[in-house]
Amino acid sequence: MFSESRRVSRLDGAGSQRSHRNIQNASNLAGQGGGMIRLDALTKRYGEVCAVDGLTFDVRPGLVTGFLGPNGAGKTTTMRMILGLDLPTSGTVTILGRRYQELEAPLRTVGSLLEAQALHPRRTARDHLLYLARSNGLPDRRVGEVLELVGLADAAGKRAGGFSLGMCQRLGIAAALLGDPEVLLLDEPVNGLDPEGVLWIRTLLRDLAAEGRTVLVSSHLMSEMAVTADRLVVIGRGRLIAEGGIGEFTGAATEVLVRVSEGAGFGARLELAGAHVRTRGDELVVTGMTAPDIGRLAAAEGVVLAELSPRRASLEDTFMELTRDSVEFGGVR
Amino acid sequence: MKGLVLAEWTKFRSVRAMPMLAAAVVVVSALFGWLFAQASAAEYVQATAAEQAAFDPLQGGFRGIFIVQVLVAALGALVASTEYGFGTIRATVAAAGRRTRLVAAKAALVAAVGLVVGAAAVLVMFLVSQTTLAMLGVPRVWLDDPAAVRMLLLGPGVLELVALFGLTLGITLRSTASAVNTGTAFLLLPVLSTIMPKLLGDFLITWWPNTAAFRPLLSPEDSLPLWAGMGVLSAFVTVMMVSARIRFRTRDV
Repeated sequence: MFSESRRVSRLDGAGSQRSHRNIQNASNLAGQGGGMIRLDALTKRYGEVCAVDGLTFDVRPGLVTGFLGPNGAGKTTTMRMILGLDLPTSGTVTILGRRYQELEAPLRTVGSLLEAQALHPRRTARDHLLYLARSNGLPDRRVGEVLELVGLADAAGKRAGGFSLGMCQRLGIAAALLGDPEVLLLDEPVNGLDPEGVLWIRTLLRDLAAEGRTVLVSSHLMSEMAVTADRLVVIGRGRLIAEGGIGEFTGAATEVLVRVSEGAGFGARLELAGAHVRTRGDELVVTGMTAPDIGRLAAAEGVVLAELSPRRASLEDTFMELTRDSVEFGGVR
Repeated sequence: MKGLVLAEWTKFRSVRAMPMLAAAVVVVSALFGWLFAQASAAEYVQATAAEQAAFDPLQGGFRGIFIVQVLVAALGALVASTEYGFGTIRATVAAAGRRTRLVAAKAALVAAVGLVVGAAAVLVMFLVSQTTLAMLGVPRVWLDDPAAVRMLLLGPGVLELVALFGLTLGITLRSTASAVNTGTAFLLLPVLSTIMPKLLGDFLITWWPNTAAFRPLLSPEDSLPLWAGMGVLSAFVTVMMVSARIRFRTRDV
């Protein structure tokens, strides 16, 4: 892990002058209350279907921002719009205050991984990176450097057609790092990686953010983001559901499990007292009220409880809770 | 911009199919030069004296150019369509940023490749066909013939424009199969002119963009003037290119 991190820094050191300036830029922007990536009422409609619906949020430098949502929530469409691949129906998205299409040599500012397997099967890994590097006027030697960094140096001369999904992901990340960019956008980068690869990505992303870069990573796995991200942006059905530091999410939905042995209608009584109650079999799942308060209320009402157990919701539970409506009831939210 | 053109060249040469197709165009040109020279020679031998007097060795040897142009158009189409097929277009567009520049870079590559391949194809077809005619004891033309010189100088340019036409189809249709099929059907349509009503047939032979440019080089006596024929094809390719650029700029990739 540590050797990987040192490698990132070393590469960065090669162009340290520029990188340093970038990071300064980044903090200046952040200081003005701006994000490196800024979405403003971003909307994408395909005929009747609204894939992204008025999305507004900022992505800040120096942090890994997890972009979460169930499959079909609009994560990929949003990332495509950030990259200028899909044109928004309305709203805007800017990177460092500019539209993506206005960037002079985009790879020097934004590195991205969208579809890792979108490779010409007859082209070698080296040639794939070489064409991307040359399109942005980057020196050919960068290709060798990033291949080394992602651990594909031995496969440089091999055709992409024979690559596993994990190797494609590594090649995609190599492409994203080519221009030593200050902004990184990665769509589901851990897909298809073995445990070692997952750990590698996690470390890499944290290191890149620690160098002051802006890192936006999409995923449908909350558990993965729990260990990688500093901030989360959660969307469902194209709309923003929640946004905040990772800590705010774990605390948000602490539940209390209540089982009543005597006394009907306690659930309704709890709701009256301001709690949110779900019934699961003979259990009541209570949020918005602490266990002692529930106990006190039960005593006052003469209700006998068989069980009263607070349960700190995992990030995964929070995610499920947050996105449940947008998955099950399509747009009711 | 220079980087983008270099990137297009890197893409072109790094997948063996592309240089192979370019080489195939030249090989096929040699083959058809030989084949149609044989056929023309056989016709010449059996022809009446009047027909023999009207025999045009250049036209006889270049009948295969109608097949070659189809391959050249496919070469141009593939430069764009394979990127859609394998999905690399998104990485390419993201790296280019400005889409108009990307179209320009692809056009520059196709123009250069089209010109080189076109020049090789025309030269090879000329040499093989005329040598074959000579060997069969049939009249042939050589470099002292003004029509031959005109073909050798302008033929490559016509094929270059045809390659660019193929590129516009690749960009607009986004699929190798539909771009190649559409290009082939479009370019070969004038071949059907003989079975069409005379008015329509004559129109196709004279004004259809590719025949408008080829005919003044092959049979100048019953075609548009050379400059007009070249103008028709150039104008057509320009319109196609502008429309491809507009669509490419405003569509999602």
